Amino acid sequence: MKVKVNEEKCSGCHLCEMVCSLFHLGKLNIEKSAIRVESDDLNSSLNTPVVCRQCRKMKCIEKEEVDEATEKNSFLWDKGRVKACPFKALFAFEDTAYHCDLCGGDPQCTKVCTPGAITVVS
Amino acid sequence: MVLDRKIAFIDLSKRSVRIEKIPVELRRKFLGGRGLNMYLLSRYYTRELEPFSPENPLIFGAGLLSGTLGFGSRLNISSKSPESGHIGDTNMGGEFAAELVKAGFSHLVITGRSERPVYLLIKDGAVKIRAALHLRGADTVETQKRIRSELGDEKTRVACIGLAGENLVRFSAVRTGMKNAAGRTGMGAVMGSKGLKAVAVRGTMDITVSDPQKYLSYYHTILKQMLETKWAQALGKHGTPLLFHLCNAMGFLSVRNNQVTTVGERGSGLEAEALERYSTGMLSCFGCPVHCRQRYAITEGKYKGTRGEGPEYGSIGSLGPKLGNLDPEDIIYACELCNYYGLDTMSMGSYLAWAMELYQRGAIGPVLTGIPLDWGNGASIIEMIHRIAQRKGFGHILAEGRLAYKVFGEASLDYLMEIKHFPIEMTDERLPKSFALGMATASRGACHMRSRASIDVLGLPEQVLEKLYGGPVSNRFSSYEGKGRMVWWHEVLNAVCDSLGFCRFLSVFSSPRGLGYEQFAEFVALATGMSLTPEELKSVGERVCSLERSMLVKDGISRRDDTLPRRYFEEPVPEGPCKGELIARDQFDTMLDEYYHLHGWDEHGMPEPRTLKQLGIDT
Ligand code: SF4
Ligand code: SF4
Repeated sequence: MKVKVNEEKCSGCHLCEMVCSLFHLGKLNIEKSAIRVESDDLNSSLNTPVVCRQCRKMKCIEKEEVDEATEKNSFLWDKGRVKACPFKALFAFEDTAYHCDLCGGDPQCTKVCTPGAITVVS
Repeated sequence: MVLDRKIAFIDLSKRSVRIEKIPVELRRKFLGGRGLNMYLLSRYYTRELEPFSPENPLIFGAGLLSGTLGFGSRLNISSKSPESGHIGDTNMGGEFAAELVKAGFSHLVITGRSERPVYLLIKDGAVKIRAALHLRGADTVETQKRIRSELGDEKTRVACIGLAGENLVRFSAVRTGMKNAAGRTGMGAVMGSKGLKAVAVRGTMDITVSDPQKYLSYYHTILKQMLETKWAQALGKHGTPLLFHLCNAMGFLSVRNNQVTTVGERGSGLEAEALERYSTGMLSCFGCPVHCRQRYAITEGKYKGTRGEGPEYGSIGSLGPKLGNLDPEDIIYACELCNYYGLDTMSMGSYLAWAMELYQRGAIGPVLTGIPLDWGNGASIIEMIHRIAQRKGFGHILAEGRLAYKVFGEASLDYLMEIKHFPIEMTDERLPKSFALGMATASRGACHMRSRASIDVLGLPEQVLEKLYGGPVSNRFSSYEGKGRMVWWHEVLNAVCDSLGFCRFLSVFSSPRGLGYEQFAEFVALATGMSLTPEELKSVGERVCSLERSMLVKDGISRRDDTLPRRYFEEPVPEGPCKGELIARDQFDTMLDEYYHLHGWDEHGMPEPRTLKQLGIDT
């Protein structure tokens, strides 16, 4: 399962980021979300949601001796891993990286994306 | 916590900043956004207060729920208006309000005047005043880009003025993003008078909530209901241009300065479907699921390469048919220019329409205007926008807004469609009587958004209306029956919506199934922990309306000012589907009486002492 992005459709509402932080942390803070909307608001007005691709071979942790399954299911990661993601799809704020854990199997962000820019695919 | 957000009092003369907490009592009485802005403004408001004086406060206020999981994240900017001389207040979408609250602030009260241009930098709880000399003359998009790049932070949100605001054009806007404008009542000019080029904000603070699960599940319930309404679906597909067809087909469009009220078939090029050829997708304001804003690009012709956001229905009407202009590309380009200069598209249309009618009647001529001001002349419209923003030639005269009458002569005011010294926008209200009353009574002068009681256009059964409004209301758009009640009801609801920072489009505005007090109360409780009953919320709206009225009373405003242009009473609509419609003075007066009574104001439109006491308003 992963969150698939169709960036053409993104309206830039930031609801996905809001619910991601609310669901995991009990607070609203779009800096603490695993999905991020990169917006070119003063030029093309295009918005691009970026989120973990759920790679089968996780480059982001390949140099660490950790259990992949456990890491896949955890939301709070170490900031150091941001550099290791070849897709620049992992984001950190202060010392923590926020990793998409698919909300334990029930992705929240896709439920509020009214234009259908992010969807769940198996 | 939402309730921890602060107010910053910034004095640009002394270069001092004082940060204060907002007492919960004040939140309960005024919420935030427009409500709290009006409370703050009322502390400074006198008849003598000069709009361009350092003492006039410029107040930025994020809605109580801006930045939370809700339905929009809006901001009000309020001050004494240099355009009307009365209450100035304007509401803006986009991302700025959410960023301000993430930075820990709810409101900014800016007074004083800086000799040299400055901008404010607000970041996670701190306010700094920075030099802006190098930004002088920069347009509103360039200004935002340059501030971001000098701060090295692309996520900074900037609200700024362009050349028009710096030049004190009386109808200048404050702008953020490509298109969002705090457009009405000249707040950009007040900003210019303070030497304030921009306010830049960046916030990364948490908003904690007490029951996230309950909050999420309630949000999903309401989201589903909202998205099922035809109104939200249509708005998400076409944006506000969908209203143009209705307005033109029924005949309540301002054409050539309200000499006519429809352009019939000739207007088809300005309808939502026709504008879709320019659209490249839909955009949302922060936290809004409806995405009603178009992104567009013009790929051929004389404006090839122009791209941006919009245009909205109000701007289409104001810079289009109101000026006899039916060319969509001229309109789009004119809007874009206004955005870059930081000018209000609506007032721009209104003053140009006034000048064009004077030109048509020979009251002013080419010697004064410098360029021909014949109806529908796209090139002249574009040129006038440049000249007004730059205060060149005839533009210097029109930059003064209604005060241009000092050059045109007192008699010219008969052709300015204005109420309380503030011009009517893109519509003509001789057909829809609720709109007519709403215009006449709006607290910021002529305004289609203060009430915009429009549910009677849906032709719903009268029992449905009676239930909604708590009294009989006719379901005929052209009837006067119950429309005083309708306007009162929507004014109060909109005041609450503006104080919460939700978008009015998603409230009971054009759909009876939109958000109302019940839902507002639930969201306030979930996002802030503050419990207010639907009735208490409604009294916030009453309080805001009566407080605004009290400020107008200080200016000497009374019943005789709650009126419409002479044309509405004396000249029947000359052609089109509502030919013959006009406003009957006696029936207008009856609506006004009903409206005053429901607000608790006397027959002169003064809030009764017992109303003020009951609402806890201390004038
Ligand atoms: S699926 Fe869950 S964790 Fe992943 S981005 Fe969406 S909300 Fe965040
Ligand atoms: S919820 Fe959807 S439309 Fe909104 S920002 Fe996220 S991806 Fe874009």
